[in-house]
Amino acid sequence: MTHQREPRILAIDAGGTMTDTFIIDQAGDFVVGKAQTTPEDESVGFLNSANDALSYWDTNSTRAFPSLVTGIYSGTTILNRLLQRQGRKVGVLVSRGMEDYFKLELGEQTYLGYSYSDRLHVVTHQHNPPLVPRSLIRGIPERIDTFGDIAIPLYEEEARKAVEELLEEGVESICVNLLFSYRNPAHEHRVKELAEEVMRERGTEVPVYLSSEYYPVRGDFPRLNTLVVEAFVAEPSRKQMKLIDSRVKEQGARFDLRIMASHGGTITHEAQELARTLISGPIGGVIGARWLAERTGIPNVMCTDIGGTSFDLAIITEGEFDIKPYPDIARTLLAIPLVETDSVGSGTGSYIRVNPTSNRIEIGPDSAGYRIGCCWPEGGVDTPTITDCNVALGTLNPDYFLGGDIKLDRDAALRALQEQVAGPLKIDVYEAAAGVVELFEESLKNEVLARILGKGYAPVNYTLLSYGGGGPLHVGGISEGLGFEQVLVPSWAAGFSAFGCACSDFEYRYDASIDLPVLPGLPDEVYEGVAAMINAKVAGLREKVIGEFAKSGFSEKDISFRVLLRMQYLGQLRDLEVNTGREWIDGARGMLDAIAAFEDLYGKVYARAAKSPELGYLIPMVIVSGTVDVEKPALPDEPLQGEEPPASASKGEREVFWKRRWLKASIWEMGELKAGNRLHGLAIIESPSTTLVVPPECSVFLDGHRIFHLQRDEAEAEE
Amino acid sequence: MPAYDRETLEMLLDGKLPWNEVRAIMSSFKDPDRFDKMVEIMQSRVPWDDRILLPLGLHLYIASKPDGSRVVKCDCGYEFGDWRQNWKLEALIYVRDTEEKMQEIYPPLMHSNPEWIELREYYCPRCRTQLEVEALPPGYPVVHDFQPDLETFYKEWLNRDLP
Repeated sequence: MTHQREPRILAIDAGGTMTDTFIIDQAGDFVVGKAQTTPEDESVGFLNSANDALSYWDTNSTRAFPSLVTGIYSGTTILNRLLQRQGRKVGVLVSRGMEDYFKLELGEQTYLGYSYSDRLHVVTHQHNPPLVPRSLIRGIPERIDTFGDIAIPLYEEEARKAVEELLEEGVESICVNLLFSYRNPAHEHRVKELAEEVMRERGTEVPVYLSSEYYPVRGDFPRLNTLVVEAFVAEPSRKQMKLIDSRVKEQGARFDLRIMASHGGTITHEAQELARTLISGPIGGVIGARWLAERTGIPNVMCTDIGGTSFDLAIITEGEFDIKPYPDIARTLLAIPLVETDSVGSGTGSYIRVNPTSNRIEIGPDSAGYRIGCCWPEGGVDTPTITDCNVALGTLNPDYFLGGDIKLDRDAALRALQEQVAGPLKIDVYEAAAGVVELFEESLKNEVLARILGKGYAPVNYTLLSYGGGGPLHVGGISEGLGFEQVLVPSWAAGFSAFGCACSDFEYRYDASIDLPVLPGLPDEVYEGVAAMINAKVAGLREKVIGEFAKSGFSEKDISFRVLLRMQYLGQLRDLEVNTGREWIDGARGMLDAIAAFEDLYGKVYARAAKSPELGYLIPMVIVSGTVDVEKPALPDEPLQGEEPPASASKGEREVFWKRRWLKASIWEMGELKAGNRLHGLAIIESPSTTLVVPPECSVFLDGHRIFHLQRDEAEAEE
Repeated sequence: MPAYDRETLEMLLDGKLPWNEVRAIMSSFKDPDRFDKMVEIMQSRVPWDDRILLPLGLHLYIASKPDGSRVVKCDCGYEFGDWRQNWKLEALIYVRDTEEKMQEIYPPLMHSNPEWIELREYYCPRCRTQLEVEALPPGYPVVHDFQPDLETFYKEWLNRDLP
């Protein structure tokens, strides 16, 4: 393709070792650049990486950046600081009696992130090193009760003494997390005043973080964790993000670099709450999927991302993904909203072993990751992986991995599989490899089905979207027999997550606990009162959103607001997030509409017959989200041509071992296929970053958006 | 199949292996030669030559004597008699059954009520090493912790005859 390239969108993914840069041009084409991450000044690694990407297009950052319209950053800096416990010296003030938060933790934190077998294996559970040492935690006598009433007044002298002691210890910031402060922040506010008084007297100044200002939500432990993460590691990372932002502008870009945040929107480095940029990895693809669904008019999407180390799943229903209010990362429970994704420790780099006790094949949960497998001797891997099976079977072209940048050794893969899998099982090596791939796909298929059925939905109403480097390779196996409405594979599947980040809104979202009970069948005045109480919370959150956007120069009229409510039946345990689609809850009508929307959602997620309006409702949380318009990637739009692919796309044929027999597969170059082309299986479509396998009895159709539709040739099969 | 070198196993035995390595060992398949390697380490550490058949706990082993008898032995070589007998009956016993004795090792109010539960500490008569502690109601007989099925263990798990 030889059009004039005009880079439009920049997406940066700064990992612990490598920084990936993803640049998209006006036609939707993209390049990926890589460079080593430079932790002292991340902007150096980022620029190297961007220039590496642009070099494929024979240009560089100074020439290309002025044409960019938007840039998104996601990185693991904050996460790495948290994992290594490298951060500021933080002092913590809590309600007296609660000083051992970090020693006791919540039981769940001792096995978060473990495989299922280890979770059951209590001897493997372990306490985490505390985020803050006990010596920097002080308890203050006071108590707010669950209704927000003062049960024990704040002992001001004790509070002053505690602050003095912490300052004496040389803390760089102070976090205050008192019980039920989300109900009534009076004591926290008073502690802050006292702390400021003490600091004035001593002539020092350190920032004071209040949980009621940052995360006014129920759950004192996740709230404290989040507050400490904010002060301990997020704040120090702000400087790095600022540096990258100014570096991008120096190169001629005319936009504020935005950072991917856990709630699925992007924010700037000036945002008050940076902790929520801690988790952004797997959610990019989900946001990309939502955007794609919106553009192509698909309401329900099952997102599946097969990467090197994991299989990530998410569900989009009627254009919306789910939000998890208390996610965990790095074995730490947090009180921030996160786009709900499930991750299974099974990817193309997953190790294959034969369990000596049961003599069965086990896949993962650990993996070779970027070291691919035994077929890449430079990686130093000595246990075979799923990729080794694909290379052995002939589905993966060993000379065209990453466009041929990395040469894979098929014999090495066969040797490892023979020695470690086929040998012990006493079967043929190709049968073993095919069996492993079948098992792998079968287990992923079960995960997909479990997610959809678990939510009470059916595959027939959903579109399966497959992406990630390994997605197109296994999509045929995963979708087989599930009866999805359609199966889609974007031709840019390998870069779909980074692409997805670029599709995200500029959005601030704030949550606050309210715990408001609402009874059914009461006079309108009562609902008007409830609406007024919600609106009082909304007003506070709205001010926060306006304040954040003001830092980027947007005023209230540029922002579109939405109020969301987390609602549940009174006495039940699980709440659902209800999008009211309004800026305010307008009186009794607005409240009743929200209740109706909840009933409707509950009926869909669980069952209509399970609706229990007679119990009444509880509104645990009020959420305000504000977005402003930003430039997003354009979907490729090409005129449809004939079904017959051009001769230039054909790369000949290859022998492939497919389910117990050798078949001839036609090989195609993905970039040469034209919109409208149709290919019949067994066909293998190769591109530098991914490989799409079309199984026998299937065909793919490339639509005008360069998305492949995988279809079963039922008619032909019947003939 | 995992295999660990002697140094790693010695650190594991001494509790000196970092937690992440211990966890990795716990989470992977069992190394098939662990038993023999561990017994080899223990054998090299004890000052006597009788062959260790099975470790019985910290500092205790079932060992085979030249005359073919099998006895429970301490690190120091003290013999507690036939392996099918409860070795505790041959050990020194210290019973903590008063508030005062409890508070030598626990803060006040943090220990059991000695009228309900007493602590019995068992020591080797020769080297005075603490070998076991049991917490039981006063008057409850000495517990025989367990009696391994040596014969079956060797035959069906190690696939060889009991030496």
